[in-house]
Amino acid sequence: MLTISNVSKSFPGVKALSDVRLEVKAGEVHALVGENGAGKSTLTRIIAGVHQPDEGSIEFDGEIVHWPSPAAAKAAGIHVIYQEFVLFPNLTVAENIFLGHERRGFLNGIDHSRTRQDAADLLNRLGVKIDPDALVAELSVADQQMVEIAKALVHKVKLLILDEPTAVIAGHEVELLFGRLRALRDDGVAIIYISHRLEEIFELCDRVTVFKDGQFVATEAVAAMTHDTLVSLMVGRNMSDLFPAKAAVGETRPVVLSATDVSVKGRVYKANIELRAGEITALSGMVGAGRTELAMALFGGLSMTSGQITIGGETFRKMTPSRAIEKGIGLLTEDRKGQGLAMLTDVSTNISASDLGSVSQSGWLNHSKERAIAAAEIETYRIACRGPQGAVLTMSGGNQQKVLVARWARTSRKVIIMDEPTRGVDVGAKAEIYRIMRQLADKGLAVLMISSEMPEVIGLADRVFVMREGVITGELGPDEIHEQRIIQLATQKRAS
Amino acid sequence: MTTVASTFTFLTKRRGGLLTVIGLICVLAIFGIVMSDKFGTASNASNILEQATPLALVSLGQTLVIITGGIDLSVGSLVSLASVLLSGITAGDPTMMYVALITIMLVGIFVGLINAGASLYLGVHPLIVTLGTGAILQGVTLLYTQTPIGKMPKGFDELAYGRVLGLPIGAVFTIAAFVLTAVFMRKVPLGRYIYATGDDALGAQLMGLPRTKVLFFAYGFCGLMASVAAIFLVARLGAGQPYTGQNFTLTSITPVVVGGTLLSGGRGGVMGTLMGVYLVSLLNNLLNFMSLSTHYQLIIQGLIVIIAVSVYVENKKRV
Repeated sequence: MLTISNVSKSFPGVKALSDVRLEVKAGEVHALVGENGAGKSTLTRIIAGVHQPDEGSIEFDGEIVHWPSPAAAKAAGIHVIYQEFVLFPNLTVAENIFLGHERRGFLNGIDHSRTRQDAADLLNRLGVKIDPDALVAELSVADQQMVEIAKALVHKVKLLILDEPTAVIAGHEVELLFGRLRALRDDGVAIIYISHRLEEIFELCDRVTVFKDGQFVATEAVAAMTHDTLVSLMVGRNMSDLFPAKAAVGETRPVVLSATDVSVKGRVYKANIELRAGEITALSGMVGAGRTELAMALFGGLSMTSGQITIGGETFRKMTPSRAIEKGIGLLTEDRKGQGLAMLTDVSTNISASDLGSVSQSGWLNHSKERAIAAAEIETYRIACRGPQGAVLTMSGGNQQKVLVARWARTSRKVIIMDEPTRGVDVGAKAEIYRIMRQLADKGLAVLMISSEMPEVIGLADRVFVMREGVITGELGPDEIHEQRIIQLATQKRAS
Repeated sequence: MTTVASTFTFLTKRRGGLLTVIGLICVLAIFGIVMSDKFGTASNASNILEQATPLALVSLGQTLVIITGGIDLSVGSLVSLASVLLSGITAGDPTMMYVALITIMLVGIFVGLINAGASLYLGVHPLIVTLGTGAILQGVTLLYTQTPIGKMPKGFDELAYGRVLGLPIGAVFTIAAFVLTAVFMRKVPLGRYIYATGDDALGAQLMGLPRTKVLFFAYGFCGLMASVAAIFLVARLGAGQPYTGQNFTLTSITPVVVGGTLLSGGRGGVMGTLMGVYLVSLLNNLLNFMSLSTHYQLIIQGLIVIIAVSVYVENKKRV
């Protein structure tokens, strides 16, 4: 269906793709994997007609093609579901589905009832119950994804590309998605599936192509691969090397922060948690179990409706972010772009953002000092960027995350809270972040990590608290951390 | 039945502001009728409708621009320029009047295209682009004349004072223009692309929607409407004046936001703007009856803009 040969693409200062190839057949799900910066997104955009290749050729459906625009690629039967959906929240589901291909009626005007009817038919074909008149803003993320897929069905889609579709959905919803994708595959649609979650590739895909640093590494049948061989192709090392050594077992470390009976209205009920210096504590549980809310309450981002927090010998019934920072607590939110980084400014500004005092003199910002500090932090955390004045926007997710870590590590004297620290980050950068987290713990900080990834919790944490529906259902010490036990606590019906 | 039901949901859920504004108009009207016996007369009502015409037309164009996620701050100066050009070129000659009318409409469209083009190709935010073109246009106007200029032929004031079906010509024209635009926005794909562009510009681009066409159309239309507004203004005043449009920049935005169009773009509609125009005009008329000076009108308009925006921001958060 699609054959890409010897394609290269450069952007100012970066060679994004160099001489890559990819061949996808009709009726297969083809995984495209590689670390961030491997060139997957660039290739996706070339196939979608957003970028044009500098060299090489694209053959689609038996013809050599040159797509000058996304519209041309779309007309040829290519549909891309980007990581961030291309949906318009203020338009209805039906309007979104037919956007650009409006159903016409009287005097060639838009026919609203036909739009609605056809949208309902498409959604039925996908087997989902979504009201075509609902505004997209009102839908769950999983439903929004289904609307994206419905858009692909408007024209006879021949090649469907999904970029990290499961980054935003969980559990049952993933199963539903896979079901729909298999049905499309059986209808003869070629699917390119991009994901960081390797388990999914083994579950869903027929073949896999690996990219690394903008270059083609291999294409193999998934059945012929194991998890470890795939990872080693991607990063050139083994999975077990990902995690640094845990803190020594047996020592009793001092409690830095303890929360007693902390509740957040409707989300967290009487949670008790203790964080110890030198340890990485994980807060585990399903999405929506109240983990983020509890962490936010510790930081003062959400107000407590009951309970108290003790830190450094002082007890607080009310916490605010400024007090939390003053007491040495730092928080890296799960949403890097929305709540963390100033995307349009440079690395040094972002690093010093929560600690302007250290870079000012008598109330004036000292820019050369700011840059010097940033340069040192870039070194410490091995942040790949064009120096202190490099733009954050163009950096990879992993490096953006390191910038945030650098920022908070500067002000966190006691506790650093990291909410999904490796979300959307590639395997190589994950290992880096794990190493940094361990370093911070070794320096005497208490690290609190919220994670939905089981290997991460098991491989990294010294202690695990499991939450379910706003209640802490269990605490697991260093020798009690097993996958089965965590799942049991995360899903059990009643707190014991 | 389903149509009735879906229209009802559409009105309450997506145009919730519209009902509020209509409610406010009723409250103000009742207040006025109770306060003064001259307020509730037919002649006062048609007076309000007539005076609202230029503002309504400028706001109509402004609505489309704001839905794209932009703003046009040059409309005030454009109204001034169009009005002095109209009466200046005409200079009392009925034949020249048609030349003048066509000229100012072309000028309006041209200015709009420049605004759109500059924000598209220079990458400058429309706020700055139109602030700049606004200043340029005001300068050009003052170079052309510093005093009221020219004269319209006899009978031109019919546009301001004439009646069709017992309603002022301007009011009929306004309502027709709003209804046509509303139909356009709902029935023609380009109308939907205008919403989509304001909702998520990057997304619209990835979908291959015609961003260039959307912006050229919205700003061009806005410029054209400013020129048409100038025609009705000159009809009432008899001659173009170099500062006549000055207040339109702020006052054209007020009805748009009062009518429920989000300043961030992507949501709202022209019928809300029309109600916003009537609300503002009614309020100004009431203030006249209370013999408060026009200075108070400015103060109150400023307050309304801020309050309206804050109300809808709150709404958006809840969604």
